[in-house]
Amino acid sequence: MPLVTSTLAAIVFGAGVVAGGLGALLGIGGGVFLVPFLNLALNFPFTAAAAISLTTVIATSSAVSAGRTGKHLINLRLGMLLEVATVAGSLLGGVTAQFLAQSTLQRLFGIVAAVVAVVMVSRIGRRNVILDQAADPGVLGGRFYDEDSGGVVAYRVKRLPVALFASFLAGDVSSLLGIGGGVIKVPALNAWCGVPLRAAAATSAFMIGVTATGGAVIYYGHGQLIPSLAAAAVLGVQVGSWSGLRIGDKAPVRWLKLLMAAVLVVVSVLMFMHSRG
Amino acid sequence: MVTSDDSRLDRAVGRVLNVGVTASSACLAIGLGLSMLGGTAGAARLLLNVGLVVLMATPVGRVIISVSEYAFERDWVFVSLTTIVLLELVGSLLAAFR
Repeated sequence: MPLVTSTLAAIVFGAGVVAGGLGALLGIGGGVFLVPFLNLALNFPFTAAAAISLTTVIATSSAVSAGRTGKHLINLRLGMLLEVATVAGSLLGGVTAQFLAQSTLQRLFGIVAAVVAVVMVSRIGRRNVILDQAADPGVLGGRFYDEDSGGVVAYRVKRLPVALFASFLAGDVSSLLGIGGGVIKVPALNAWCGVPLRAAAATSAFMIGVTATGGAVIYYGHGQLIPSLAAAAVLGVQVGSWSGLRIGDKAPVRWLKLLMAAVLVVVSVLMFMHSRG
Repeated sequence: MVTSDDSRLDRAVGRVLNVGVTASSACLAIGLGLSMLGGTAGAARLLLNVGLVVLMATPVGRVIISVSEYAFERDWVFVSLTTIVLLELVGSLLAAFR
């Protein structure tokens, strides 16, 4: 466990600001940036990095979702249905993480980051919108005002079993790797289940608070969460995600996807290099 | 097709999240400040842990509110689903403090 100094707390705070900003901008928790930084740059044990990151994921999810309620961007019903699968996954992942070697977790992180980057780029042109505003979105679908298209976008949820499976996997990976799992759910919901990127990102950001709690509680109970550094990271992420959210609604979808993919490729390579020791 | 209106639930969820984030951030900020200044280590540790517990309790509170709101709407399918999520979170707690 790292020795906590004011300097270290300040560095972790700064990392939280950057991770939170990028996370809010991309509609993911930001953990995908924070975990590699804490584990690779600051040399924290992977489990300590994951535990800190999960607390920031909870904070981001709560703050971002609180600011978004009322805009119909979060699909509450779809989110709550998929939570049944993600929280089951995060419970399993939190227990499993206690038995896996750091190099295994790093390789898993590398694989997850790379797969998601590929999926994002291959689906770059898809929009998944029903242009007819009177279209019936069904029980689980939704409609929201989209600034890009300048109109109300309606969508139906397709392939629910795929969404449930992706959510379970996302929950499992969330607890194991300390990320929100948005990097798995958002592309899956967007690419295969007909949910527009913005709604998928908002719904995922809403779900990851509960998902990350399922894992964070287990790390906390096992004494792997360093309270002062978690506090520094959480506060940093609050500042960062507040700033990111101001820009986020105006950023074009295509740019978001490309940036997300590029960052994930870099993270993947770094994780594989370090897992070799 | 009647899509039921979730705006009441939406507002309730927003309130829970807001209060939780504000309360936990305040505890964490004061706790971190105290622990960096040195001195009252006990108070700092208490505040940091209270902050983290409130942070983790916030999404759980949001699920509990959802169960009660769906019960109010008599939407038993979603009462069941949100109750399962709640039970899974209890499972996590049991796995953490066995």
